[in-house]
Amino acid sequence: MTHLVWRLHRTQAYFATGALVALVLLLLVTGITMADDYHRFLATCAATQSCGDTGQVFSGDGFILDVVNLTMAVPLLFGLFWGAPLVAKEFEDGTQNLAWTQGVTRRHWLATNVTWVLLGAALWGAALAAVVSWWRTPENALDSRFDAFDVQGIVPVAYSVFAVALGIGIGSLFRRVLPAIATTLGIFVALRVSIAIYLRPHFMTELTKTVPLIASNVTAPAGSWIVSNSIVGPRGQLVGRGFTPDSIPAVCRTALPMDGKGGLLQCVASHGFHMLISYQPASRFWAFQGIEAAIFLVLAAALVGLAFWRVLAADA
Amino acid sequence: MSTVDDSLAIETHGVGKRYGSQWALQDCTLAVPRGRVTALVGPNGAGKSTLLRLLVGLAAPTTGRAQVLGRPPAQHEGFLDSIGYLAQDVPLYQRLTAEDHLGLGAHLNRHWDAQEARARLSRLQIPLDRPVAKLSGGQRAQIGLGLALAKRPKVLLLDEPVAALDPLARREFLASLSEAVAEGDLSVVLSSHLLHDLERVCDHVILLASSRVQLCAEIDDVLASHRMLLGPRRTVAGVEPSISVVKSTLTTNQTRLVARIDGPVLDPTWEVSELGLEDIILAYMGQDGSSVPPISVLGGVQ
Repeated sequence: MTHLVWRLHRTQAYFATGALVALVLLLLVTGITMADDYHRFLATCAATQSCGDTGQVFSGDGFILDVVNLTMAVPLLFGLFWGAPLVAKEFEDGTQNLAWTQGVTRRHWLATNVTWVLLGAALWGAALAAVVSWWRTPENALDSRFDAFDVQGIVPVAYSVFAVALGIGIGSLFRRVLPAIATTLGIFVALRVSIAIYLRPHFMTELTKTVPLIASNVTAPAGSWIVSNSIVGPRGQLVGRGFTPDSIPAVCRTALPMDGKGGLLQCVASHGFHMLISYQPASRFWAFQGIEAAIFLVLAAALVGLAFWRVLAADA
Repeated sequence: MSTVDDSLAIETHGVGKRYGSQWALQDCTLAVPRGRVTALVGPNGAGKSTLLRLLVGLAAPTTGRAQVLGRPPAQHEGFLDSIGYLAQDVPLYQRLTAEDHLGLGAHLNRHWDAQEARARLSRLQIPLDRPVAKLSGGQRAQIGLGLALAKRPKVLLLDEPVAALDPLARREFLASLSEAVAEGDLSVVLSSHLLHDLERVCDHVILLASSRVQLCAEIDDVLASHRMLLGPRRTVAGVEPSISVVKSTLTTNQTRLVARIDGPVLDPTWEVSELGLEDIILAYMGQDGSSVPPISVLGGVQ
């Protein structure tokens, strides 16, 4: 059985290995340069009292940063090119008639296929995440690790496993490669985006902190993920993300200088308005990784179940 | 449950298959003796493929039950070992070579006779090292047959294996099949809508039309029991009871019948002549069934 899986998927495996090696080389070259820059910066910033000014350290690395962020799409590629065709292509070519009348049961056939492809996806996902996590080390030290939550740690493994399981499940449902690919793409993107935007910020109850309206740029503990910030009035009432003409205290409204907003901010700040920040501290990074990974692995398990049900119970 | 009959390769009782609201096969009751080559014939859409798919376990029947070698088709290694199946249009992995396929078969089956398969394909001068997508339909069919035979099955089911082949390739294919049957304990069911070639290789025939079994018998018995009757014009209702009319054609002054004769034809006004298998089958296809009770295969075997 393993022989069959390898014989049918080895081209894809070679392709994936080639792409991964190319990316690793790219990241190695730029990563070493970046680590150099970072260490040089640390060595010199203490002398000039500018260690807080981290924005300039990696300026000019825009392209490579894009490449790293694009690795977010790699799990999706596994799902589209490994997962979706796994069952669907057999049906499209009619080869399930050949494969499922040999001496192995359909259960065995599917189990072996699914195991190897999921294992492959998990391994490549892990390799990618390891390289990106290493590459991000200097950046992680300067910025929040939550900024690149999706491309490092353990979630890329879970995304890869999920994407492949999604492709297999949808492929076994549609039995056609192209519709399976299109649907896998749609569901994967929709689910990833909605979980990242609507669920992830609230995996654990946010911590809050009040800061003056006119504050320096250090607003939350280093490395934390600021989920939201809003303006709170003197009696603790929530104003919103900004002032509306009605929510500005009357005294400031009349004193509103027409020439700029600095005067307004000074005024409301002196009348007890301040900023409330909700954030997830840096220490929760791995807990969040675990929760997100668990969500996608549970979904993956359900999709594998769907594929088994479709392959074993339905007519071929 | 009836007892397992060792002399039967295939046995079905009231098997039906419905897709949506459409019955692809209905009330199919038949028995195929072991060690025979059976032609499964019928017009397109008669349910031939459906029946074969039910028998190899690729689909489950909606009604009735089917047995192959005394057990229902199942996802079970013992069952899978005993059957060989070549689906319509010869599905093969297009990018793989014949040699690759033989390698896959060796890994997927407990019994695998690669040597014999390789020898047969070499005799037919089929390149083993080229992707099958680059081979002709005849060569692909031979590879498909080779793979099905290499499993050393007890029952071999072939779905329209010669439909797409030119006459020469068709002849070669059927010759290969006859050769394999001659070699061992193998029962074959071969579906086709081409009747002509089957007569030479098959000794048993099943006719499916309008989703039902119209005929299931030894070819020799079919030939012996069917006659063409030509006589003066008369109504079909008036013929003697030993004549079961399959098809009647009335011209202005003549009546021509294709009929099953269960006894001597007493009426001297009939001119009786023998029929070829193709004529008989076509006569059955022309009628909508039910008027002639299907011939039982068991009568033919005993």
